[in-house]
Amino acid sequence: MRERPTLKRWLTVLAAMAAGSVLLAACSSAPGNTTTQSLKTLTVGSSNVFPPTLNPTANASQAIDEVIDYNVLQHLVELAPDGKIVPVLATSWTVSSANKVFTFTIRKGVRFSNGNPLTPKDVVYSLKRVSAPGSTYPYAKIFDVASVTTLGSDQVRVTLADPSWEWLYNLAAYSNGVILDPSAISSMATDPIGTGPFKVTGEVTNYSVSLARNNLYWGYKPHVAGVTFRYYTNPNALNSALESGQINMIDNLSTPSDLSLFKSNPKYRVIAGLTNGKVQLTLNNAYGPLRNRLVRQAILYATNRQAIIKAASGGYGIPAGSDTVPADPYYLNLTNVYPYNVAKAKQLMAQAGYPSGFPLTLTLPPYYYAQLAAPLIVSELGAIGIRVTVSTIDFPLWISQVFEAGDFETTIIDHAEGRDIGNYGTPGYYWHYAGTAQVAKELAAADAAPTRAQWIAGYRQVLRQITAAAVNDWLYIIPNLTIAQKDVVGLSSTAYTEAFNLTYVGIGGSIPASAKALGYSS
Amino acid sequence: MVRFAVRRLTTVLLTLWAASILVFTVLNILPGTPAQVILGTQATPASVRALTIKLGLNEPLVLQYLHWMQGLLTLHLGNSYISGQPIAPELGAALEVTAPLVVLGLLVGLLIAVPAGLVSAVHHRKASGAALAAATQVGIAIPNFVLGILLIIVVAVYLKWLPASGFTPWSSSVGGALQSLILPSVSLGLVEGAILARYVRTAVLGVLRADYLRTARAKGMRTGQALVRHGIRNAAVPVVTVLGLELSGLIIGAVVIEAVFTLPGVGSLLLSSVANRDLILVQDIVMLVATVVVLTNLLVDILYRVIDPRIGLRS
Repeated sequence: MRERPTLKRWLTVLAAMAAGSVLLAACSSAPGNTTTQSLKTLTVGSSNVFPPTLNPTANASQAIDEVIDYNVLQHLVELAPDGKIVPVLATSWTVSSANKVFTFTIRKGVRFSNGNPLTPKDVVYSLKRVSAPGSTYPYAKIFDVASVTTLGSDQVRVTLADPSWEWLYNLAAYSNGVILDPSAISSMATDPIGTGPFKVTGEVTNYSVSLARNNLYWGYKPHVAGVTFRYYTNPNALNSALESGQINMIDNLSTPSDLSLFKSNPKYRVIAGLTNGKVQLTLNNAYGPLRNRLVRQAILYATNRQAIIKAASGGYGIPAGSDTVPADPYYLNLTNVYPYNVAKAKQLMAQAGYPSGFPLTLTLPPYYYAQLAAPLIVSELGAIGIRVTVSTIDFPLWISQVFEAGDFETTIIDHAEGRDIGNYGTPGYYWHYAGTAQVAKELAAADAAPTRAQWIAGYRQVLRQITAAAVNDWLYIIPNLTIAQKDVVGLSSTAYTEAFNLTYVGIGGSIPASAKALGYSS
Repeated sequence: MVRFAVRRLTTVLLTLWAASILVFTVLNILPGTPAQVILGTQATPASVRALTIKLGLNEPLVLQYLHWMQGLLTLHLGNSYISGQPIAPELGAALEVTAPLVVLGLLVGLLIAVPAGLVSAVHHRKASGAALAAATQVGIAIPNFVLGILLIIVVAVYLKWLPASGFTPWSSSVGGALQSLILPSVSLGLVEGAILARYVRTAVLGVLRADYLRTARAKGMRTGQALVRHGIRNAAVPVVTVLGLELSGLIIGAVVIEAVFTLPGVGSLLLSSVANRDLILVQDIVMLVATVVVLTNLLVDILYRVIDPRIGLRS
């Protein structure tokens, strides 16, 4: 009985603490938007990993390009949401008839966010840096430049080593094209200085990167005070953050099963943007039974692409028939070459000498799309006698074991790069395609073709060839699922680049008609 | 006392040295080359090679180990492979989240464990004591991340009292920082508190049945007085032992809780650096945690002797 006052005292203390914490909550500012001179800050919840550095020329992480490319660092030309190449730091350009010499006229009156003026010399410096010795540019492979020089007072001339119909696209779409201030290179890891609509104001490791409007920007000024990218490794936390109003939008929903939370809710808009990402069941063409073309074809016939899209991508996304997406100039719809046909697949297996199938290992990276597609692949291949064992490994291991060493049987991976058909002509590429040398020759011949029509015809020939050989089982083109509060405007309707252009973004209000025409949401 | 201190310190240093060898060996056996992870799938083999040399990863392993040890001993933690930035400030910023989280978690745990353990022991024959004991059992059974998710749904998404996740830096608002640590430290501390309460209860029950307490009561002291005067010190020894172990548990638990609440702490740093193969950062973090755990054990050893002088310095 005597102890009761003690307990009561404890309860009083606990109650006081609880009251204190509620008071604390009430006193501090409410989470969400802060107002700066009537402009709001947009908070983007990102399902990406935190960018390991903010220097896109030193690391391949997609998270860097998302924040920095186009928004902070700009290119001579960039890719609009509708897939067109548009002038940015170059006002115009000419191409020699042989597709080898490109002459750019550099925009006048452009300043970097530190106040330095942009000169043609800066452009030459930046483009030469891509293939300089010791370069760490992640896409140096697709930047075959022989020389870069200034021409007159306002022009830059680029000469390629070999003619290419793709070089201008690569310059626009990949972060190789970023134009840098030569005097600000040393700070690139934490504060890249560019000419874009935003500048970096700060970062918290594993947490957030903040951008503010660049007041020296030469073009259309964004209708936000700034953009904060917040990183969520945990999809539950990301969804809760949007539901509780801590963030304005999710850049890309990695778990399509969570779409139901937002799809029919009038508070949000869902933008299912087309990408260049081809999710494929990669087949090691040098492994045992997979060496046989008939077996590979049987696998393609046994795959139900619509069912996989439903399971792995929430019904968004379109079936893939080869290594191409509708945005490619040389796109061919080859989904009808191997329609879902189990009987035909079984017949091919028997013809190849495997009437009772064989065991096969599927080595997966830890990504949701791969994890969600795998059970269907297991049951579909099981139906034609292929007994699939699944193992999941982390991404660094995937890179070194599957990609670098080519030591695997099958894997599921998103080949996210645009127009990457060149992989089929790369010697030693991880799927060990027997026709690599032949494809390389044909691609080079097409690149040297005098007309665009001949180039396209040449690439289409290669597409037909790799599809006939069933090099890989192309599954579907993965969508980018952006979820935003209803009043967020100016978002790209597609995701053809790793850059996430926020020039026209605003909370409420409208966007210019010219931006709407390029494919920004209103 | 001096001999005791020297012996204990030698043990601490030897343990840490053994830990460093273990950590270094295990991480360097791990497949996945940092340079290839950094440069991705479109990089040229030449640039991957150049980066490997730049990072010093082409040196013999023994040399790499010695370089690392030299850095640790001179308190130069080195530069991250991935960001190229010095590790010390990055780790410092992460500690600003994790250290308060662990301390607050411990505080929540103690605030639950001591009263709950005492009351359930003293009232062990009554319904209130039994109810408290049962409640602690339930507390033990709930994993901390489940509790965290429940708290987010109820307190943040429905009631909107506290932020669902994230962290306001101390520099921008101390109140905001504390506010963002409330739910995480409650999820972390509640479960640990429930476990600790069981130990407090057992220890106090043991003391209540001891001869000296009966004697004290026979002299006319009330149970509460006797407990405070004679019981608490005796009950504290086993509790302090468990508390030391719990602290290690809290540090591990913080890794999970940080992921649930997306806090930019040491746990998140560890997870991301493992995923990026930022081996030197992983090594530094593991050594930091190992040092904290070993020092906690040392502290517990010293505390024994303060609480109970009968425990000799020689034993």
